[in-house]
Amino acid sequence: MSNVLEISPITRVEGHGRIKIVRTADKVEKVTLSLYESPRFFEALLKGKSYAELPEIICRICSLCSTVHRICALQAIEKAMHVEVSLQTRLYRELILNGGHIQSHALHLFCLVLPDLFNVSGLSGLTGQAQEELKRGLRIKATGNLIQETVGGRLIHPVTLIPGGMGKPVNKEGLSKLKENLQNTMPETLRAFELFSSFHPNDEKLAKPNYLAVRSETKSLFLGDALAMENGETVPAELYLKILCEQVIGENNAKTTLVNGEPPTVGALARLNLGMRLPPMANTAFQERRLSLKGADIRANNLAQAVELIFAVERSLEIVDILLDASFIREEPARIVPRSGMGSAAVEAPRGVLVQSYGFDSRGICTQADIITPTAINQAAMERDLVTLAKRMEGADDEELTKALEQLVRAYDPCISCAVH
Amino acid sequence: MKKPTIAIAGLTACSGCQLTFLNCEEELPEIAQRFVVDYFPMGLTERLMTGPIDVAFVEGAISTPDDLETIIKLRSCSRLLVAFGTCALWGGIAAMKNDESRKQLAEAIYGPAAASLMTFNPQPFHRFVKVDFAITGCPPEKGELLTTLAALLRGTLPVFPHYPVCTECRNRENLCLLIECNEICLGPLIQAGCNARCPAVGIKCEGCRGPVTEANVAAETDLLLSKGFSREEIVSRMQRFYPEWNYEQRS
Repeated sequence: MSNVLEISPITRVEGHGRIKIVRTADKVEKVTLSLYESPRFFEALLKGKSYAELPEIICRICSLCSTVHRICALQAIEKAMHVEVSLQTRLYRELILNGGHIQSHALHLFCLVLPDLFNVSGLSGLTGQAQEELKRGLRIKATGNLIQETVGGRLIHPVTLIPGGMGKPVNKEGLSKLKENLQNTMPETLRAFELFSSFHPNDEKLAKPNYLAVRSETKSLFLGDALAMENGETVPAELYLKILCEQVIGENNAKTTLVNGEPPTVGALARLNLGMRLPPMANTAFQERRLSLKGADIRANNLAQAVELIFAVERSLEIVDILLDASFIREEPARIVPRSGMGSAAVEAPRGVLVQSYGFDSRGICTQADIITPTAINQAAMERDLVTLAKRMEGADDEELTKALEQLVRAYDPCISCAVH
Repeated sequence: MKKPTIAIAGLTACSGCQLTFLNCEEELPEIAQRFVVDYFPMGLTERLMTGPIDVAFVEGAISTPDDLETIIKLRSCSRLLVAFGTCALWGGIAAMKNDESRKQLAEAIYGPAAASLMTFNPQPFHRFVKVDFAITGCPPEKGELLTTLAALLRGTLPVFPHYPVCTECRNRENLCLLIECNEICLGPLIQAGCNARCPAVGIKCEGCRGPVTEANVAAETDLLLSKGFSREEIVSRMQRFYPEWNYEQRS
């Protein structure tokens, strides 16, 4: 006699997903992860739209990752149109990416994960049990938002970053305000790191993740020309299809991907394990907890995100200082002559590797679009780990099992709207 | 006054409206104490709607049977239903190709697997349920959400402007991107409340807040056509957030 435990929807994650566990008596027969978020067909919506419209539409795939979707689109479009952007534009884009990174990680760690660490159900519980920590987290999150709103013109779905350049740059007053805010936030990120260091799973490890990340040659930690794998191999971004081949599987609205036949893992932990070069303070934190982060299983992703909060604030301060010194004036965006062609870009989003690829006709109208999001890439690994954990917990009651499985999913920081798009 | 009970949920959406709520970083601890949150899957462990709910803030369009089930459940146990965001009120970005075959859109992405997808053209709430209040925007303005929450604590609802973005843009003395820079700025047709933030940074209004009452759509279209934009281009821009514009409308 089999019984089915359905965890639907998975709570404290972005988007709609469910876990179904089929058991006979106590034995776990099958565990499926189903991302049943409504499909919006973005890749089909973009066909027939001008290249200029693409970034404005694509950022609406998801609000948490809106900024990085927009930047990735801009990179891909500019590659297709053979356009180079100025140093000023490149700096502002990197700054806003750091802002998005801070906002996203702080949201995840303090609103979605922290309740588990204090055994409460959500925000109201946190204001009771961990008000200090919640407020700290919200202050860090607010810094990420301040960067995004100042640089992007709008908190969610930024507007100033356009193909070839940007709208008005930030004035001296705005940059100084950012600098002050970032300086105040720096110590807060160190305290956040201490907090998440103190919560460490001590039980038996899950499968060793098969990491994948964008390889960066420059100081920018998010942008790069190639994808790097666990085994040391790299693939240029334009040839992403060689390793990332999406397939529709099962009851899932999100497509799944395997790399070298194995479920890949992307995200903060992947970046740290594949040798992302960190600025000094973030590196100190990383070295301090190296043993918990290198060769760990996915549950260390939360701690990895706390390390990244430090680097994002550090790097943002560096960029703001460069911008203050440079005193850039408003530039006209680079002139774009529409041409037929293809452009692909890979960017590290907060949750991991994001790839966007577009084809255009001679008028600059989009003829094809392909978007591969980090959560879609992580799906197979998520399900694999859920199966392992469920089997290990055979005999546990439903409540305990639900709690453990949901916490495992949360460690991946899934963004299901992105995964399905 | 008893603490109001609220629900926060999303349907076919990007979570931008729920994120707007979580972006009220300074006010969140106070909100968590002055309201009882009954149902909020993104922020709370409990996945069951127990109700009764005073105010449900729901974002997203309705495009699947699951969406429909959720909105009906929320409507039937809530005293007030708030359409939160442009998708809930107008259809939003997912509805931009509602005039094309959904089957073809699905097949373009999923191939033969599309046959088992249960999805229909994304619809605003008022197609299916009575809506008591709306906070428009893609994303909505933090300020309008906080104003609404504050008003609810006093047993009332706020009044939002019914004039176009142009009014706020002129107030800010922005350079007019439509008249002076010849860009496709939809300001004259769009509901104000955002304080013309995009034109203020030199970017034309994309119309993310949906139509203003008595929008003079025909005049805007004529003006843009006279500036040399093709009808195709104009319609493409306008369909982005609201697929049902009446292009003949003059008031």
